[in-house]
Amino acid sequence: MPVIAVAIGVVVAIIVLIVLFKMVWRVAEPNEALIISGLGAKSKPIDGVDSLGFKIITGKGTSVLPGFQTARRLRLDSRAANLEVNCVTQQGIPVKVRGVVIYKVGDDFVSIANAARRFLEQQNSMDGAIHELFTGHLRSIIGNLTVEDLILNRERLTSETRGSAADEMSKLGLVVDSLQIQEIDDETGYITNLGRPHAARVAAAARIAEAERNQEATEREQETERQNAAVIRDTEMKKAEYEGQVQQAAQQARQEVILKETRNAELEAERTEKRLESEIRKPADARAYEQVKLAEAEREERISYAQAAATEVQLKAQRESEAIRLIGEAEADATRRRGLAEAEAIKARAEALAENTDAVIAQQLAEQWPQIVEAGAGVFGNVDNMVVLNGAQGVEDMLAKALTLGGTGLGVARQLLAGMNTQSAPAGANGHNGAPAATVPVEIPKED
Amino acid sequence: MIGKEGRVTGRIGPGLVGEVMIAVRGGAEAFYAHPVDPRDEIGVGSIVVVVEYHPPRTVYVAPALAR
Repeated sequence: MPVIAVAIGVVVAIIVLIVLFKMVWRVAEPNEALIISGLGAKSKPIDGVDSLGFKIITGKGTSVLPGFQTARRLRLDSRAANLEVNCVTQQGIPVKVRGVVIYKVGDDFVSIANAARRFLEQQNSMDGAIHELFTGHLRSIIGNLTVEDLILNRERLTSETRGSAADEMSKLGLVVDSLQIQEIDDETGYITNLGRPHAARVAAAARIAEAERNQEATEREQETERQNAAVIRDTEMKKAEYEGQVQQAAQQARQEVILKETRNAELEAERTEKRLESEIRKPADARAYEQVKLAEAEREERISYAQAAATEVQLKAQRESEAIRLIGEAEADATRRRGLAEAEAIKARAEALAENTDAVIAQQLAEQWPQIVEAGAGVFGNVDNMVVLNGAQGVEDMLAKALTLGGTGLGVARQLLAGMNTQSAPAGANGHNGAPAATVPVEIPKED
Repeated sequence: MIGKEGRVTGRIGPGLVGEVMIAVRGGAEAFYAHPVDPRDEIGVGSIVVVVEYHPPRTVYVAPALAR
């Protein structure tokens, strides 16, 4: 328990200490100065200057005894006051100037002391006071300047500001950081007129430059167009030339083609001709030749025929004459010989007949046998239907009978011969149907 | 302050209130400047040395470099 009480007591004591410390210890921040007045708050004399009667603390902490001392804060921030002044310039031109002044309490103790004496209780109304103060100063500043300076010469402005306001601001413990003229309203149009010659000059220069540039551009354009035209002309000429060349080449090519085609056609014609020649003319020639040859041959043949015929005729004639002659001769000879032979035959027959009549007749019959048999068979020729019985034997019998009919002929022949012997004429049995022949011609060998 | 060097930011001359920037208290502050020799004219950008200091914000300067 006592430990807790002690701890609590310690904590409480610490808290009390902190609270006390907080109450006693004050710290000045970088943008403020502590003005401490009261018991023992005397700053040491600085550089032989009298003491302020209060203590100024910047950038550190200090103990302030509650009840005996008071601490006040003076802000050292920079402040801005807007200014608006109707004033007249050095040339007597009325202008309305709007500007801003940026100021602060000086950082040295003297300035802080001066400012603290004047503004410690009315820091918020400082801007108003400065505005009033600077309005007057600005009027005097601008009265010393021309409009041109106001516009252009910053150094003159700041210099005049310093010259006019420095001492007064030092009295107040303030420092002017910057004075800016924000706007100049010129009711008379001075500034405008100030700018007009230059503007006119600039405009003229601009117009001149524009015109010149325009002219240049036009010139260049025209030149370029001319060049273009020239280039186009050249191109066209070249094109035409090239086209001509191309056409020429094409024409040449065409000509060559035509030549080639002509050559081809010629070759073709030649070929055709040759083909025709080979296919038609040659054969035709050949045929013609053949025909000619044939005709010739024929002619020759005919000639030779004729010749041959003539020759033949001649020969024939010769031969015929020869033959006739020979025939004649032969006939004569034959006749002669026949005559002789007949004479001999007659003689021999006469002899034979004289010697052996039957033999002769038999011989005669034998010589004439085929005709005799034929004549015998002719009997059967008149028969339409003949039935032969006994087969082959029957035929034999029949033939024998028929031939016996011929045998009768022998008797007939004998009679004939008998009759002939009286007429001394050779008789030949040569009758049809067993008809007795009146005359019998004697066969003689023919020469042919 | 006396003996410090600074740079002229506002023309210093007779009849003018010049301005010099001087490094002081860890920063750089502008002080109203007058020439020690009243005939001196010191242009902007010159280096000056503080010869006299008049609180709160006025200094008398001379050119730091011999001309």
